[in-house]
Amino acid sequence: MTAVVAQKLVEPDAIESELKAIWEKLAQENKTRACLFNLIVFNRYSPRTDYIRSIAQRVVEKFPCRLIFISEDPQAAQVAQTDSPYLKTAVSVLVPQNGESSVACDHIDIGVGGSDIERVPYLLLPHIIPDLPTTLLWTEDPTQPHPLFKPLSELANRLIFDSESADNLLEFAKIVLELKSKNTYDVADLNWARTEEWRDLLASLFRTAERKSNLEHLKSLEIVYNERATEYFCHLKIQSMYLLAWLSSRLGWTCEKASRTLQFSFTSANQQPVGAIIRTAVWQNLGPGTIISIRLETNGQDVYNCYRIKEEYHYVNIEISSHEKCDLPYQFLLGQTTTGHSLVQEICRKGTSQHYLEMFNTLMILDKDKLC
Amino acid sequence: MNISLEEPGRSARDIDPCVLVIFGATGDLTSRKLTPAIYNLGREGQLPANFACVGFARREKTDDQFRSELKNDVASFSRVKPIDETFWNHFQNQIFYHQSEFDDDDGYERLAKRLAELDAKFGTRGNRIFYLSVQPKFFPLIVEKLHKHGLIYEAQNKEHWSRVIIEKPFGHDFSSAEELQKNISEYLDESQIYRIDHYLGKETVQNLLVFRFANSIFESLWDYKHVDHVQITVAEEIGIGTRGHFFEEEGLLRDIVQNHMMQLLSLVAMEPPVNLSADAIRDEKVKVLQSIRPFLAEDFKNSVVRGQYGPGFINGGPVVGYRQEQNVNPNSSIETYVALRLFIDNWRWAGVPFYLRGGKRLPKRGTEIAITFKNAPGILFQHRGELNLPNVIAMRIQPDEGIAMRINCKVPGPASPIQPVKMDFRYTSYFGGTPPEAYERLIWDCILGDNTLFARSDEVAKSWEFFTPLLEYWAKNPSIDFPNYTSGSWGPQAAEEMIAKDNRSWRIL
Repeated sequence: MTAVVAQKLVEPDAIESELKAIWEKLAQENKTRACLFNLIVFNRYSPRTDYIRSIAQRVVEKFPCRLIFISEDPQAAQVAQTDSPYLKTAVSVLVPQNGESSVACDHIDIGVGGSDIERVPYLLLPHIIPDLPTTLLWTEDPTQPHPLFKPLSELANRLIFDSESADNLLEFAKIVLELKSKNTYDVADLNWARTEEWRDLLASLFRTAERKSNLEHLKSLEIVYNERATEYFCHLKIQSMYLLAWLSSRLGWTCEKASRTLQFSFTSANQQPVGAIIRTAVWQNLGPGTIISIRLETNGQDVYNCYRIKEEYHYVNIEISSHEKCDLPYQFLLGQTTTGHSLVQEICRKGTSQHYLEMFNTLMILDKDKLC
Repeated sequence: MNISLEEPGRSARDIDPCVLVIFGATGDLTSRKLTPAIYNLGREGQLPANFACVGFARREKTDDQFRSELKNDVASFSRVKPIDETFWNHFQNQIFYHQSEFDDDDGYERLAKRLAELDAKFGTRGNRIFYLSVQPKFFPLIVEKLHKHGLIYEAQNKEHWSRVIIEKPFGHDFSSAEELQKNISEYLDESQIYRIDHYLGKETVQNLLVFRFANSIFESLWDYKHVDHVQITVAEEIGIGTRGHFFEEEGLLRDIVQNHMMQLLSLVAMEPPVNLSADAIRDEKVKVLQSIRPFLAEDFKNSVVRGQYGPGFINGGPVVGYRQEQNVNPNSSIETYVALRLFIDNWRWAGVPFYLRGGKRLPKRGTEIAITFKNAPGILFQHRGELNLPNVIAMRIQPDEGIAMRINCKVPGPASPIQPVKMDFRYTSYFGGTPPEAYERLIWDCILGDNTLFARSDEVAKSWEFFTPLLEYWAKNPSIDFPNYTSGSWGPQAAEEMIAKDNRSWRIL
């Protein structure tokens, strides 16, 4: 948990002086002003805004940074020609409430509507802390042109998207690959980060040479995800599609057919047919879109069945069997899958995941009929 | 087809399955350090999914009793509290207890069977770590028995591996260290031996390499042209507690200086390694140890001070002297304090003195490496003929981990006096309050098969080779002035005099 201390609406030219005043008061509480990087978050006001804020605050708890949170009023944008534009700024200090840390961070909030959006980059520039990396969390669909995208992304060393916001996954993949090829910044994606534990699970499951050879003889694959919809998430298939695209790209499969019922036909690297299907289930306490299980079967009837335990869904039960024997099941802990953890991981890592970029190349074929 | 599901450098879960067998599972180290370390690794998802832990000890105990004791240990000593009940309820099912004497062949036979069962149950694929948390006299015996019962594989085995972690002391002097090495290397390849020096698992010690070799501004000043001297301090305010028997055998030089302080010395003085592989780093550390100028007879008097604490006050409260501690000879001549000056005879450090001091019952706990730079030419900014204070980079290893730099600064105003100021970087301020414990990192590295942070046999041997003549001199010439410092002071007067002869003084931590 993070507490916001002394939030105060201020004039843009008073941002630093008001922050200083807050810090002078906090000095009596032995709080240390710390910053490892600049984190700029851009979003449009929506029911997801609180969720985005909670993610940003999780980051601050783990790694102190100067948080600059920009919220655009979409209604004001629509009526920009006729309505009064506005630009409001507020400052506060974020204090992690984990009971141990004496660290606290600057928080600059920018609310903007209408044509004042063009003022935002100029407002922002003096408040970027120099000599530190800058991460931009762009929570909107990057395929939709936005006047702030270019100026903000030019400030960033690392750009984080959330493909959940994309209306068209195919277009999203194209634009991400294009941005990466034309710019020096690194690119990351929250939905990719959300599948990380499952990728780790599969990598650990198929680590030995014997198991790896089984991967070459897969004949079917089934992924189940949580279809529980909320107002924050509506593109629930994406994580499953990412996992399928990643696995098929790693194994060198060629997609032959993809249907709207999320059934896929591949040809494996050794020219064998592979069938894949993505199914749904509804788990109330699990995040929407989250992967619930994955089942793989080889031509030799080896079966790898990995599924979350419903009562303790951070645990995945792993059952491995063949026509000759059945191993005792064991469990894989999916790490700390709390909200924001994935984002924190992505911010800390250097570089762009090569697997992510390669996955997109496969995804563009899988999703050519706009399944997501 | 070359299939790879792991992405190098990105996955923390790219790790072999294994069983960890702890010998001495009912001991203090297991309770205080190993159990919390394993728990925290598991809770943070760092252990392999296919993992089991077996405690091996002499006392009769059931699996459930052992699990219950470990749970209490986690509750008491874990850096993260309270205990995560959900995690523990799962995790405890991967923990087992095995009763046997260390010399009992039947016990090892039963262990082999049990490990085979665990391999089948947990998919641990025959990979083994044997953690010898026992007295060093048992190391050769246990290793021999493990080998005899087929629990140690050849190092070249491609299908599964076995590794053995041993705790210091690695010998008592040069010849005993050689003897130990000879005994265990009969059954183990050097790549299978993981000698734990827990100082190397500390985040701040690991950061020494990053600080030096990832920042060009410091490394260019890191030599005899710019450095006046280096001080390494390991100070403890505690006494020897219940370790009287142990300390009477070992003394402070063997307990702290020969291992921890020499590791710090070699990390701070080493040349850049050709790469970050374990052997490349350890090769450079060994070169430092090889370059230390051996003590001559006169150095034993002029460059070394030993001390023993007498009664005094710690934090204002009275404490007894060493000779009044439990299980200590009332006429003991064992040292609880050592200060020494040594030189590293290589190009980089020619003529630069390294002052090392370590002691018990000093005013406060603190481990620090301080690099004091040469003075700026005094032509400018002299004040009444006095030079300004030299720049210092102080790397605090514990507590309050961080790096501080002393620089000179103009005080605002027309008079222009110059005052030293301190720029201070604190780990906790930036990275939170609970960094992983050293044992977490070291156990994890052992599972990964990375022995960078473990001492290699030639490091151990070189260090003993340097100190053994001093130990022999001390054995022949017991101190006649012990106790020679008051508990709660910074050590014997002779230590102050030793450094004062060089026109320098010890830093106050």
